[in-house]
Amino acid sequence: MSELSLERGLNALRAEIDAPVAAFFSSCVHCGLCAEACLFYVETGDPKYTPITKLEPLRRVWEAEFTLFGRLKGLFGLNKKVTDEMLAEWEPLLYDSCSMCARCSMVCPVGNDIQYMIRKTREGMVAAGHAPEGLITAAARAVRTGSPMGLKWKTLQVQIDHVEASSGLQVPVDAEGADYLVMLSSMEIINFPEYLEAITKIFDHAGVSWTLSTDCYEATNAGIQIGNKDIAATLVQRIVDAAVKLKVKNVISPECGHAYTAVRWEGPNLIGKSYPFRVFHIIEVLEELRASGRIKTEGKEMDRLSLHDPCNLARKSGVIQQQRNLMDLVADNFVDLKEHGRYQWCCGAGGGVSSNERAAELKMTAFKRKKAQIEEVAPERMVTMCATCRTQLEEGLEDFNMDIPVVGLTEMIAEHLVEKNGDRKQ
Amino acid sequence: MATQKTLGESLREHGVTRRGFLKFCAATASMMALPPTMTSAIAAALDKARRPSVIWLSFQECTGCTESLTRSHSPTVENLILDIISLDYHHTLQAASGDAAEEARLAAMKENWGSYLVVVDGSLPGPGSNMGYSTIAGHSNLDILKETVEGAAAVVAVGTCAAFGGLPRAYPNPTGAVAVQDIITNKPIINVSGCPPIPTVITGVLAQYLTFGTLPEMDDYKRPLAFFGQSIHDRCYRRPFYDKGLFAETFDDEGAKAGWCLYRLGCKGPSTYNACATMRWNAGTSWPVESGHPCLGCSEPDFWDAGGFYQALSVPTANATHTLAVAGVAGAVVGGVAAAVAKKQQRHAVADREPVTIEQLEQRL
Ligand code: SF4
Ligand code: SF4
Ligand code: SF4
Ligand code: SF4
Repeated sequence: MSELSLERGLNALRAEIDAPVAAFFSSCVHCGLCAEACLFYVETGDPKYTPITKLEPLRRVWEAEFTLFGRLKGLFGLNKKVTDEMLAEWEPLLYDSCSMCARCSMVCPVGNDIQYMIRKTREGMVAAGHAPEGLITAAARAVRTGSPMGLKWKTLQVQIDHVEASSGLQVPVDAEGADYLVMLSSMEIINFPEYLEAITKIFDHAGVSWTLSTDCYEATNAGIQIGNKDIAATLVQRIVDAAVKLKVKNVISPECGHAYTAVRWEGPNLIGKSYPFRVFHIIEVLEELRASGRIKTEGKEMDRLSLHDPCNLARKSGVIQQQRNLMDLVADNFVDLKEHGRYQWCCGAGGGVSSNERAAELKMTAFKRKKAQIEEVAPERMVTMCATCRTQLEEGLEDFNMDIPVVGLTEMIAEHLVEKNGDRKQ
Repeated sequence: MATQKTLGESLREHGVTRRGFLKFCAATASMMALPPTMTSAIAAALDKARRPSVIWLSFQECTGCTESLTRSHSPTVENLILDIISLDYHHTLQAASGDAAEEARLAAMKENWGSYLVVVDGSLPGPGSNMGYSTIAGHSNLDILKETVEGAAAVVAVGTCAAFGGLPRAYPNPTGAVAVQDIITNKPIINVSGCPPIPTVITGVLAQYLTFGTLPEMDDYKRPLAFFGQSIHDRCYRRPFYDKGLFAETFDDEGAKAGWCLYRLGCKGPSTYNACATMRWNAGTSWPVESGHPCLGCSEPDFWDAGGFYQALSVPTANATHTLAVAGVAGAVVGGVAAAVAKKQQRHAVADREPVTIEQLEQRL
């Protein structure tokens, strides 16, 4: 087994250059519009953060080896080579300054999917041994223990006991044939245990059959974030095995946005076959329950609330109206951020940026975009539905001394459920 | 005068059947991406709508927009709606001329003050240019526009000239042409761009306004999202070829015959927002890309100055405000010529790829 090396990295880049990549690079008109869409560029003003620039290693390989012009240039020794030093220089550009939020992909006038290419370039970086320490350790822990934070079932069991004691309800575990298998992220288990309690209550209220699995309870995908399909596939396969073993019809992704896109959109391609179940985000499930009248609520939040759409959910997956319908159910004074839904600005922590300590400062600089957006509408509380976004919002707002609490949408719904013995007639 | 009869009454008077009317409503609903159940709601609202007073002004234009509408697959509900609503004043279509025509306009304004729609086609010589370039009954376009818009509920700029300046504004813009939105800032504006716009899109916008009584949701160029929400490229049936990198290189090569993507031949589909790919032209017969011609980008600002129509995508020079550099054309043309060799190389790379293990990763810590 060889070591990671420049040679392996270049080969991985070559292997990632498919027709879309070739079409994208040849269609780029260098208009620079992607820069204005990227929070890392906008908040630093540093041109090296222009999205298309972050792809320079991939672009050079494409130009030198996949175009006639590049081959001609090669004959005259004019090609700029991709070296180990170059990859080292680009490592922070690819990992610290990109949250894979896809805002650049959305604005590119010729339809270049830059975020897709970032993901591909990271494949080359990993194979060349240029990935940030935080992501390497997260990936290693995810493969070895099933959780990027190294959580064991024991920890989750403790939370389950808490939930059962405080709600008086049972949390189903390893229940074969349940309709929904619920996945969590470490962040929800440790930082936001109220999430588990909330779905326990809501599902009981709505009569949904669900379960957790002791084989696999964590679905964040460190492989996607670091940019390696082998690791990513291993992690997806675990979910598939657990779901197949329990014969569930549906899998609910954790609230983590990247986990959702990884298991919902990338997963079947990674493992090379389709799933025998469907995948949803909890918000989609709740909206379906709401629409079919299975969630009955009472009372409304009266303070001014606003919403942060996770990029992975809203821009990349089109889940936009669902969370607003749910908001309407329980909030009386809701105001959208000016740019929201598809146009949402990223919180700055996705794409592995939050697990990458070196990026901590840049992450807070990028958060200024969100901060400015929030200041514009001055809400009393922020609501969201992604554990990563929520952590970043909390940290960021605290960092900038803004006294705006952040709540999860699912928990807010749970708080307003009509009491069980109330008028829950069908 | 114009406001007495309901639209439904007028349509029936013109012999439009209930069935034909509902068909139009269903098409409008689908254009607006509304559920089919909305058809009856639209029909009910349109039926009851008072014949709205519309004043149609034509400035520096080629009359293509009016032609697009009136020469379309007639007789349809669309152009009947137009016939009905445009009676008050339309330079080109009305019988009256000179002072009589101008008096009709002033009378229509007075009678419907605050509620009439102004439809404009054509751009106008802007402030600071020679007003003599375009006048009507001795009045400059600028004065007529300002005067007419005064009592309007909203202004619909039909065609790329009215919406963005269009051909009259192309470099070097001898008449100092400007768009309606450059002049009118205190009234709601709806830009229905296109050179010309698709007729059903024009009437769809009017029907939407009549049905819901509100302005449609619009994009940054003030174009109604229902019709301009998606790019030509997103909805193009040649798109699978683009995604596979299969491009026609000339108009009569094997690729062109096989229906491959026209990007290399200058197609501006990726940067153009319009409904051609879904609505098509001439009663749904075909549309430019289907007939083998690249999209010119006619519904986008400054499309005349966006490099050659047959050059692979470039950006309009007049639009290139901030850091933009207009380049990449050469690169785009060269790209992919070495595809065959490259494909082989890529296959090797995929075959040579070794899986990355976490042990290997950890050695890097
Ligand atoms: S927005 Fe698109 S075309 Fe413009 S520079 Fe970025 S990648 Fe290139
Ligand atoms: S995906 Fe988001 S963070 Fe990354 S380059 Fe694009 S806009 Fe910037
Ligand atoms: S023909 Fe034009 S619109 Fe269609 S796929 Fe090709 S570039 Fe896009
Ligand atoms: S295909 Fe393009 S150029 Fe042709 S009419 Fe439609 S938008 Fe205009």
